[in-house]
Amino acid sequence: MTDTSRAMEPESGVTTGISQKGLSAGAVGVLGAVVIGVSTIAPAYTLTASLGPTVSVVGTQVPAIILVGFIPMLLTAFGYRELNRVMPDSGTSFTWGVRAFGPWIGWMTGWGLIAATVIVLSNLAGIAVEFLFLLIAQLTGNAGIADLAFNPIINVVVCLLFMLGATFVSYRDMKTTQKFQYILVSFQVIVLLLFAGVAIVKAVSGDAPDATAFSWSWFNPFEVPTFSAFAAGLSLSIFIFWGWDVVLTMNEETKNPEKTPGRAAMVTVVVVVSLYLLLSIGLIMFAGVGSGALGLANEDISANVFFALSDPVLGPLAFLVSLAVLSSSAASLQSTAVGPARTLLAMGHYDALPKKFARVSPRFFTPGYATIVSAVVASVFYAVMRLLSENVLTDTILSLGMMICFYYGLTAFACVWYFRRQWFDSVRSFFFTFLFPLVGGGILAVLFVTTLIDSMDPAYGSGSSVGGLGLVFVLGVAIIVVGIVIMIWQAIRRPAFFRGETLGKDAPPSIRRR
Amino acid sequence: MSAPIVVGYTATDAGADALALGIRLARSLDAAVHLVMVLPSEGSRNAAVVPERAYEDLLRGQARDWLAEAVQRVPEGVTRSAHVRFAESFAEGLIAAGEEFGARLIVVGAAGGGRFGRHRLGSVASELLHSSTVPVALAPAGTAAQDEQVVSRVTAALGTRAGADILLDEAAALAGDSGTALRLVSLVSLDVPAGLDTGMIRLVGGAHAQDVLSGARDRLPEGVDASVEEAPGDSIEDAVTHLDWLPGEVMLVGSSRLAQPRRLFLGSTAAKMLHVLPVPMIVVPRTRAEAGAL
Repeated sequence: MTDTSRAMEPESGVTTGISQKGLSAGAVGVLGAVVIGVSTIAPAYTLTASLGPTVSVVGTQVPAIILVGFIPMLLTAFGYRELNRVMPDSGTSFTWGVRAFGPWIGWMTGWGLIAATVIVLSNLAGIAVEFLFLLIAQLTGNAGIADLAFNPIINVVVCLLFMLGATFVSYRDMKTTQKFQYILVSFQVIVLLLFAGVAIVKAVSGDAPDATAFSWSWFNPFEVPTFSAFAAGLSLSIFIFWGWDVVLTMNEETKNPEKTPGRAAMVTVVVVVSLYLLLSIGLIMFAGVGSGALGLANEDISANVFFALSDPVLGPLAFLVSLAVLSSSAASLQSTAVGPARTLLAMGHYDALPKKFARVSPRFFTPGYATIVSAVVASVFYAVMRLLSENVLTDTILSLGMMICFYYGLTAFACVWYFRRQWFDSVRSFFFTFLFPLVGGGILAVLFVTTLIDSMDPAYGSGSSVGGLGLVFVLGVAIIVVGIVIMIWQAIRRPAFFRGETLGKDAPPSIRRR
Repeated sequence: MSAPIVVGYTATDAGADALALGIRLARSLDAAVHLVMVLPSEGSRNAAVVPERAYEDLLRGQARDWLAEAVQRVPEGVTRSAHVRFAESFAEGLIAAGEEFGARLIVVGAAGGGRFGRHRLGSVASELLHSSTVPVALAPAGTAAQDEQVVSRVTAALGTRAGADILLDEAAALAGDSGTALRLVSLVSLDVPAGLDTGMIRLVGGAHAQDVLSGARDRLPEGVDASVEEAPGDSIEDAVTHLDWLPGEVMLVGSSRLAQPRRLFLGSTAAKMLHVLPVPMIVVPRTRAEAGAL
């Protein structure tokens, strides 16, 4: 690709003519990568969405769960990095799954990724709606406005408008400047630090609804009451690190592929973990883990704890938290929407879905059709969930955790299996292509199965149920079954992909034996 | 053979219009066309989205398919080549390509297509018109559907403001190279300070218009003759509508005085003209590149 041939190519020759100017290599430095990482993870959003459900299952052991939850994420991310190194592809999990396990399992891996991102899109929009109304209420001093967010019709309509806006932005690939993104991320971090700091000070000075004394035992994972609680907590904390892997897997796109991704991933994880620990400790100290009016385990507030706690903690400055969550969800909405669209595009490209999905907008150079389809599906999903569930946000977050375990786990195993002939090539490949992804995938698989079994109980999550089974279980199974049905339908319509003609199985040979 | 023409191509109607105009100009001027498709480099659009080289590769493949199709539409006898470029913006990539190829003209389609007239500046064309160092030709919507093979006449819109000299040279060169008639149109009456009443404009304008046109005619290079015409009308839109236009004609205007030296900037007069102009407009930089520089 170093061909810089200019001008006079032979007749009708289409040259790629990549002059140095056109190469975007080295676009991202450490700071840029950290900003991408923090924006994608969107700590303000993930924590407000997941802290409540996590406290309800593990009580005060949240800090321990956050730290432990990072382990499977880290191990799996190593596998991601190896796969991305040898097979960079927009289809990520889908393509890798197909290359390692063949079309059927690969198709389901892609499906898992799409389902997880579509669910998170709807949850993001749902959180953004609540904070939009809260922000207006805080700024106008009219508390009644915040309650409007809970009117189902208003909620769904505004949420769909948010989705429409996000789709428009990603379809047209609207430019947002780096500076603007830096400001958003810094603002988010500063507000969260302030929020946590004030919560701790108020708790210590006794000016809190349920002041709980801090204890180092909160960091002890063995004090989590049951294994089910442990598994549920873990799958939630995987959600809070979800997106971190993109920093580690960035490669050619960075200024220095040898060092930038690793350093950026380190910095990102330190920033995010510090924020999570400070905030969870601060809010537990302030509000306690009970189910009192402001208790973190109170079902009425647990799906969106910042919503309920920002006013009591920060008083007149509470609007800053609303602004931080709103802006972080908006940024995350955009960056998250890219994932499923590109995977759908790749699936269309390899003929695993109708060719329409592979269509690139000739004006904006985005996966136009795939972007719109994923937005429509996310909108419909949200609207239906809002009607079915008593607490749509809690249930979507729980089923999201399950779907992440599903496709991350499959991807980790895909790494292990794909590199099966290279495991013992070097110490490095033993750890990064075999041991780490195997253990990571194993943990995720256990979490997935445990959550699936536990969620059959109708009391699981928000307590909504369908036909005597928990809504989260029904959702998880329904998503997978729908995936299988669509896959079989596609297999009948376009057998080439399923015969492995468009994208074949592969396993790179051992370097030693070559 | 004269310097090549760069066509800013996209697989859209606007792109087809640009290609059609590019071919027409290339035939008239005996120039080569370079189809250039500029793609957004990953990571340059949204700082929150992970840049992905694989997606860039995929886009490149798609762009090559689009270009291969477009190249088929270039008639025999016109030298052509096609290129995929990555840049932060379409305009930036096109200007770079224009400079790289030493292009005489950059051709783009007026995006969207006319709800309010034939030219509607899309963000790309407008960015290009504000920063290009190479003259820019705007193909109005519908150019692709016309059958004109060559440029039929070159019209230059003259005022008394700085820039008219270079404009005159460019227009003469264009008419000379394409072997077509040159028409000079006076916009003097519209170049007077705002606020003068219509009667006054007529008076001042009428007096100067003839001076400018005859002066311009004298300054034309040897062997080039030009017809002169005064554009009547109270407003620029009015004046442009009242002129007669041949199919296949092009109109040249100079860039605004506010432009940085050697860069384009679409002035308010030219912008108004665009709304009603039925033929392609070519915007020429106010000052010339010094000999030897680029």
